[in-house]
Amino acid sequence: MEKIVQQFRDIQPTMRKNEVWRHVDFSALLTDELSLPQGERQTAEYHCNIPDLEAIRFVTENGLCHQPTLQTEDGTIISGFRNFSSQRPDLVRQYFGKCTPKENPYLKINSDNYTDGLFAFIPDGVHQQKPIQLQSVINAGHGLFLQVRNLVVVGRNSHVVIIHCDDSYDHSPAFANNVTEVYIMEGAQVEYYKMQNLNNQTGLLNHTYVAMQQGASFRSVALTLNGGHIRNHSEIRMLGEHCNVEAHGLYLNDQEQQVDNYIFVDHASPNCHSRELFKGILDDNARGTFNGHVLVEDGAVKTEAYQSNKNILLTDKAHITTQPFLEIYNDDVKCSHGSTVGQLDEQALFYIRSRGISERTAVTMLSYAFCDEVLQQILLEPLRNNLIDLVKKRLHGELTPCSECSLHCSSPCNGPEANFHIDPSKL
Amino acid sequence: MSLLSIRNLHASIGDKEILKGVNLEINLGEVHSIMGPNGNGKSTLAGIIAGNTKYTVTEGEVIYKGKNILDMPVDVRACEGIFLGFQYPVEIPGVSITNFMRTAVNEQRKYRGLDPLSGAEFLKLMNEKKAIVEMTTNLANRSVNEGFSGGEKKKNEIFQMAMLDPTLAILDETDSGLDIDALRIVATGVNKLRRPDNATIVITHYQRLLDYIVPDFVHVLYEGRIVKTGPKELALELETRGYEWIKEELEQKA
Repeated sequence: MEKIVQQFRDIQPTMRKNEVWRHVDFSALLTDELSLPQGERQTAEYHCNIPDLEAIRFVTENGLCHQPTLQTEDGTIISGFRNFSSQRPDLVRQYFGKCTPKENPYLKINSDNYTDGLFAFIPDGVHQQKPIQLQSVINAGHGLFLQVRNLVVVGRNSHVVIIHCDDSYDHSPAFANNVTEVYIMEGAQVEYYKMQNLNNQTGLLNHTYVAMQQGASFRSVALTLNGGHIRNHSEIRMLGEHCNVEAHGLYLNDQEQQVDNYIFVDHASPNCHSRELFKGILDDNARGTFNGHVLVEDGAVKTEAYQSNKNILLTDKAHITTQPFLEIYNDDVKCSHGSTVGQLDEQALFYIRSRGISERTAVTMLSYAFCDEVLQQILLEPLRNNLIDLVKKRLHGELTPCSECSLHCSSPCNGPEANFHIDPSKL
Repeated sequence: MSLLSIRNLHASIGDKEILKGVNLEINLGEVHSIMGPNGNGKSTLAGIIAGNTKYTVTEGEVIYKGKNILDMPVDVRACEGIFLGFQYPVEIPGVSITNFMRTAVNEQRKYRGLDPLSGAEFLKLMNEKKAIVEMTTNLANRSVNEGFSGGEKKKNEIFQMAMLDPTLAILDETDSGLDIDALRIVATGVNKLRRPDNATIVITHYQRLLDYIVPDFVHVLYEGRIVKTGPKELALELETRGYEWIKEELEQKA
């Protein structure tokens, strides 16, 4: 076994003694088959099939980025991380590791061993029209242990949309211990959309650390469609007043998959708002955890913080551990937290079926309806429409041909769809 | 042969017996009204005909189009032409009415061996049927019943009935919670859908709705049995005299 893989495995038992990591055991995925990336490349170009989405696209392929640095007239820099570190070590040093905790050994393994990633720098006062899309592609054809490091700096009063996709392109096993740091300066706005569609042999520990200055806003939606074991570990710190956080997630898992969402929101300053909505559907033997921690520090008066986690378990074997948690050190706050675990609404199922709709179709319709609330949090319309379609396809599984499915995606997955010519989203 | 024939129907929820031997015959072209005080089994009867499994049928049979339908799942009954207009229509956030109805219409068409409607055909049908209930709401972006007023929910039930064109429609207290304008619109809708090749059961405990929808028969469901059947004038008599005299009549018989 690779030394780093062994090192990662070995710290797991100690980590599990901490409540935050208690359910995290990647051992089954950390196998002898994993090796460190050697610059494996399958193709020079990757496409993204989201219609009408014009994005600045950056690809890391098996942990390495091969694109040249892009610098636009307004001063925006988008580059491979390794490449940029050698060009502007000063700028990288100014931010690297400045908003990450010191005591996380998984993070340390990445910091010591990362191979590459995305560096994005948006200067002050830039409204970046095109979203920046980072595709992390895994397709080496053999087992890989990856460590990607991304760094995003958004200047004062700037605005940027980042789309971050983790995709498996083959069925080889892989494990990725990825870290993303996001620095949001005064008054800047960041939308951060994560899509995770990995194969069942792949594990992903996805750290996201966000530091926000006064008046900054951060909106994230993480969509977990598939993956052996995916953990989204996010820590968001509101360091200045009047910050706004909207952090949302949707997870749809089945078979033997595991999905974890850990989110820590630190209200370190007064007058900040945060809202979290995480929803998930677990089928078969899938397992999940939600661990939400809102910390309101003693000086953080006029805080508003809302946290919600809702789950549907489709079988008796599916399992969710949900721990919403508020830690408040002053009394001038409005906070709420809640979580639910349940099944689909029997009354609604009966109502739908009473119109002649089969049970299977009714279940699919209601499952989608449950997801819709999170998907509506995606402000970027072409992306939202595409993800709505992906979720619909995920829910109908591979068993029903498109023509019989109730969900009427705007882009059918196989063959021509002859019967319906109108874009249903516009009806 | 009658369209619907209910014979000696007994049903319960849990340990509580609600229907205690209901008999009812309905033919094509007829409108039947079922009246009676609250809590005497009207909604239970409607639910059992539609296929709600929360009720347990302990005795008797429900024959529809010559078949005992008690083992038939609710969606198959709907495809066979049974429609239930709900007393409390369910809100389904995230499912648009358009998508809901297109799926229902096409699943029913598939059951009958028909091709699904094209988008254009479906839109045309929907606009025609919206007119029947004077529905002006843009249904495109609205979820089923979500945020609807009481009147809109009931109009939406009749709109769905118009879209699905059932053979047997059961309207469970469609008039409850309606103001007079909405009541007129809903009733007019039902009348427009009345044909010699379908039948309707109107469940109500007010005579008011029957000013607009004129039934061929009025039945009184009391303590789990149909205790009296008469022409439309029976409804008027119930309105003026209440249900007490029926109870007295029953006691005298006993």
